[in-house]
Amino acid sequence: MSTANDVPLLSLRGLGKRFGAVEALVDVDLDVYAHEVVALVGDNGAGKSTVAKMISGVLVPDTGLIEIDGETVTIPTPIAAHALGIATVFQELALADNLDVTSNLFLGRELHRGRVRDDETMEQIARKVLRDLNSRIPSVKSPLSTLSKGQRQSVAIARTLIGRPRIVVLDEPTAALSVSQTAEVLTHIERLRDLGLGVVLISHNMNDVRAVSDRIIVLRHGRNNGEFDAATVSHEAILAAITGAPSTRELDSRAFLPTPH
Amino acid sequence: MSRRAPAAGSQSSLRDANRNLVVETVKRYGGLTQVELSEATGLSQATVSTIVRELLAAGVVDTATTTRSGRRAQMVTLARRVGLAAGVQIGHRHLRLVLGDFSHQVIAEQTLPLPADHRVDTSLDRVALLVVDLVERVGASLDDVVGLGVGLPAPVDASTGMVSVRGIMPGWDTVHIGQVLSKRLGRPVYVDNDANLGAIAESTLGAARQYSDSVFVRASYGTGAGIVINGQVHRGVAGTAGEIGHVQVAFPGELCRCGNRGCLDTVVGASALIDRLRVSSGPLALRDVVQRAIDGDERCGKVVAEAGAMIGMVVAGLGVAVNPQLVVVGGELAETGELLLRPLREAVRRNVLLNQIAPLEVVAASLGSRAEVIGALVLALQSTALPLRVDDDQAAVGVGATQ
Repeated sequence: MSTANDVPLLSLRGLGKRFGAVEALVDVDLDVYAHEVVALVGDNGAGKSTVAKMISGVLVPDTGLIEIDGETVTIPTPIAAHALGIATVFQELALADNLDVTSNLFLGRELHRGRVRDDETMEQIARKVLRDLNSRIPSVKSPLSTLSKGQRQSVAIARTLIGRPRIVVLDEPTAALSVSQTAEVLTHIERLRDLGLGVVLISHNMNDVRAVSDRIIVLRHGRNNGEFDAATVSHEAILAAITGAPSTRELDSRAFLPTPH
Repeated sequence: MSRRAPAAGSQSSLRDANRNLVVETVKRYGGLTQVELSEATGLSQATVSTIVRELLAAGVVDTATTTRSGRRAQMVTLARRVGLAAGVQIGHRHLRLVLGDFSHQVIAEQTLPLPADHRVDTSLDRVALLVVDLVERVGASLDDVVGLGVGLPAPVDASTGMVSVRGIMPGWDTVHIGQVLSKRLGRPVYVDNDANLGAIAESTLGAARQYSDSVFVRASYGTGAGIVINGQVHRGVAGTAGEIGHVQVAFPGELCRCGNRGCLDTVVGASALIDRLRVSSGPLALRDVVQRAIDGDERCGKVVAEAGAMIGMVVAGLGVAVNPQLVVVGGELAETGELLLRPLREAVRRNVLLNQIAPLEVVAASLGSRAEVIGALVLALQSTALPLRVDDDQAAVGVGATQ
């Protein structure tokens, strides 16, 4: 969602990446505005995760520009991404099972008062962040090992909110979750948007994508292959763009052609 | 609240009738004090007290001490073991579910965002899975669930539980929704229009609790109304009563999903509001329009206020037809509070026929955005017949899940 003359929070221009003979990305463009969920969809190997890795500083593009607030930036490392206000949740979550919820949220960036770890403040912030997300996690002191898969995903999403990010990248957040866990995660994504963040959602599930995103960007063989308004686009049109089939619009216009006599 | 005369006949049949009346009344309100129970049933306080004691011994009701206007009172609720029920609201962009017991206490709830024009097969599948999950979450089993109330944003034929007007929910209008879900879950399913459910909830538990004739207006993605006459929802022969979203307000107006032109929904429905703001504010979701209006955005506030005035004009017509004591306004747009309500109220007052008995009040839904899903829960509970065998085998009062 954006007013017409807003500057995008994040803008990718002509991104390219090669791995040997594999063209992972060719000339990919992507804009994310504040208060907006942009879904990045595509088949396996379409380049979705490569884009996520470039935004979060894991991979560096061979060609193209990354702009934040209209200014060109380089994101050489995940730490640089974090400093620019970009938080990422990868598919494999990267949480510590033996620690509790608070410790996981602050892992690697614990707060200190003087030389002592400030557990009380961290727990307060943890509670606030979980409340902001409408999360159903009973206690910030529960060890991760006692939580369900969906609750862990909640913790991973909550972790992105520590340190006030502006852009959140979620890679397949609903993969392998039950319907009720999916409901939780989708509700969290709505909350992130309502909090004014720009969200990049990577997913295979068209239902989930169309439920929470504002715009849908399709990648196919590492190239942009269509951009859609999520509120009006049909399921079939997105699938057509993903699979490379002629779009329903094209089919429709063919159907209206006068039959030759 | 309706006053029913006790059945004529022998003393014991009279006692049975009174006992039934008390249980039905508790079921209707969820929880009442004995004094309120006596007022609601028309039975004397001594009779109510005796019946409550019997029902308590039989395990049909529970009592708890509470206070009413500073005095100690006995709150009567149906015993929890009488069973659970689920309420489901299938909206345009959200699925809402609640699980509650016979005291109308919600014990678990869940919301799932849905895509625009979601498909009937996927969504019903998700309803079934989420109901099972909610039941497991409270440590119960599906056998404890006496029934499932389901609300749809379309007119519903009460006898079949199917959408009764073509085109309003494409894909849903040929599916026997109640049957699909009851087959899947093995429990009785009651389907109704969401505005009717809002009306049931508000007249049973909410703002219209004190009134026998009221109208619930739902201002959401589309507009609808539930009409309560003499404590009962009036649905009409095909369930289209109160479908004010399809009253013509523009001439000739835009084409509506229902096939007519210039319907209220083409002027104040979500897509109409969003289209009006698209150039100035970009593509917004209905949720954004509501939030921005609350935050003081003038453009969004103006669009909401104009929608309120337009809805109020149509509600005034309904007011003339039904002559309710109260109009309760719910739905997403009502979350803007007086921004929607004031112009709506003014339009109603300006256009309704004034009488000398009581002015027509217009208030916000006291159950807020949960009115419809709570109404679905109440519908399931009210549709369930409880077998009452207090006299013979007192321990045998169990869960009655008859359709």
